Amino acid sequence: MRWQPVLKALSVVLLALLIILSILSASWPEEDMDEFDNTSEELGRTLFGTTDATGYGLIVFFIGLLLLVALLGGIFLAKEERE
Amino acid sequence: MIPLVYWLVFSSLLFCIGAYGVLTKRNAIVVLMCIEIMLNAANINLVAFSSYHSSLHPALGADLSGQAFTLFSIAIAAAEVAVGLAIILSVYRRYKTIDVDQINILRW
Repeated sequence: MRWQPVLKALSVVLLALLIILSILSASWPEEDMDEFDNTSEELGRTLFGTTDATGYGLIVFFIGLLLLVALLGGIFLAKEERE
Repeated sequence: MIPLVYWLVFSSLLFCIGAYGVLTKRNAIVVLMCIEIMLNAANINLVAFSSYHSSLHPALGADLSGQAFTLFSIAIAAAEVAVGLAIILSVYRRYKTIDVDQINILRW
């Protein structure tokens, strides 16, 4: 069907217009954003916390575990089967 | 700095480019790349809104939770790509194609 790509492109353009128009019509309390210093340091503090009870250290650990499992799963799926 | 609206428009354009690719492309790897583009659009939104929140409440100091969540999101995307590419490789070995229109065995 030749008209299908045109229809898909048109629907995506309509979606983009809808999203952009709704963003532009919304009233944001503040126009500009401030600039922050030491972002990497602050990000490190946010991730691992300043005391034992704060931060996302455990989640970082589990995300690393998830990546390892995904890597092993990928290797298992991609390895060639022996006849 | 660049206003929030610019980031939002940029990320929505990025999302729509990804959606167009997912809808029209037939190569499974290109579809996977387009899904990654859509994920990146969501990541840009997370960072932009986190930075905007910090600008709105300067008394609270810099809150980089959105940036931290974005790092998690990127890690999840990496895991997804690892499994997705392995599945594509496996499908190619079986069907000798990665055309998503021809791999229709899951279609009901």
